[in-house]
Amino acid sequence: MSRIKAKRVGFRIDMTPMVDVAFLLLTFFMLTTKFRPPEVVKIDLPSSHSDMKLPESDVLTVTVSGANTFFMGVSSQQTREKIFNSVVKPKLIAARFSSAAVQDSLKQFKLADSFPVQRDELDKFVVMARFADQKLRPVVRADADAGFDAVNHVIKVYKKANLLTFNLVTVMEKEVR
Amino acid sequence: MGIVDSQAGRRSIKKGKRRTKRIGFHLDMTPMVDVAFLLLTFFMLTTTFSKSNTMEINLPPEMTEVKVAETNVMTLRIAGDGMAYYSLGNDAPRRIPLYDPQDTRQLALSRPLRQLLKQQVKANEKMVIVVKISEKARYKQLVDIIDELNLMKIDRFSLDDYTEQDALEIKRAV
Repeated sequence: MSRIKAKRVGFRIDMTPMVDVAFLLLTFFMLTTKFRPPEVVKIDLPSSHSDMKLPESDVLTVTVSGANTFFMGVSSQQTREKIFNSVVKPKLIAARFSSAAVQDSLKQFKLADSFPVQRDELDKFVVMARFADQKLRPVVRADADAGFDAVNHVIKVYKKANLLTFNLVTVMEKEVR
Repeated sequence: MGIVDSQAGRRSIKKGKRRTKRIGFHLDMTPMVDVAFLLLTFFMLTTTFSKSNTMEINLPPEMTEVKVAETNVMTLRIAGDGMAYYSLGNDAPRRIPLYDPQDTRQLALSRPLRQLLKQQVKANEKMVIVVKISEKARYKQLVDIIDELNLMKIDRFSLDDYTEQDALEIKRAV
């Protein structure tokens, strides 16, 4: 009846299940992680209580930085190519670029997530993007500190291109009321 | 950690150089598991599942015109000086702070302004709020106002251009 507890020196646990779970999680995180591409400018988004999500495809983004500069980007590469052919290419040809150089910049343009746009050229680009893809969903991604006149300019450009429903990108605000 | 274990483990320590059949051999998996956990923690900490949130805005088409009685209109002007100016119909605008002065992070509109909006909409079901934001204002203020109206479930509001007339109007604010 004497049950003397043996001192548990150097005992072993089978850790196989734990390691299995760890690897499962590891593969999950490795496969789902999409590294964010480096941003051209840092955008400090304003916060809101809206919980609508940003659509994933067919997005036309106009970014307004804190210094009121404009950037534009479309998510699909076909649309990018069309925009390049109709707006950028004539300009390059007018500037006497060789066809190889034009091809090269097309390649770069297709890979770039967004490109800087002048304030007075924005309407041309937006209208061309709309022509290239009718299903585009317009999005304004502006810095919280951007001036209202810059954002208003984007809104007016959208209005002119007959894009009457658009989204403002914000970050979730945790504070409840 | 993670050791393939069996009773036949010690059979391989034999004298002769004859190769024994490797049944149930030990393999120290500790380093591999260490690396696996390191990567796991790295991916877990760097992954953010956040997709950006958005706020939808609908603009009215250029051509349509909606007629609203003057008594049902409240104009809210944001001049860019940290103040909001509201006026009912054609009354002189009244000054009201846009953010609470002690709210340094400026997450929400000021309490009096929120109360005012709530009261006005409650008092008059048909109230339409026209928001006019000056070019000097910040984008954040637009987002905050729309957010606040959305939270209060006020959908009868519209954005309008801020004109010279509005700048003059504000001058006679009380």
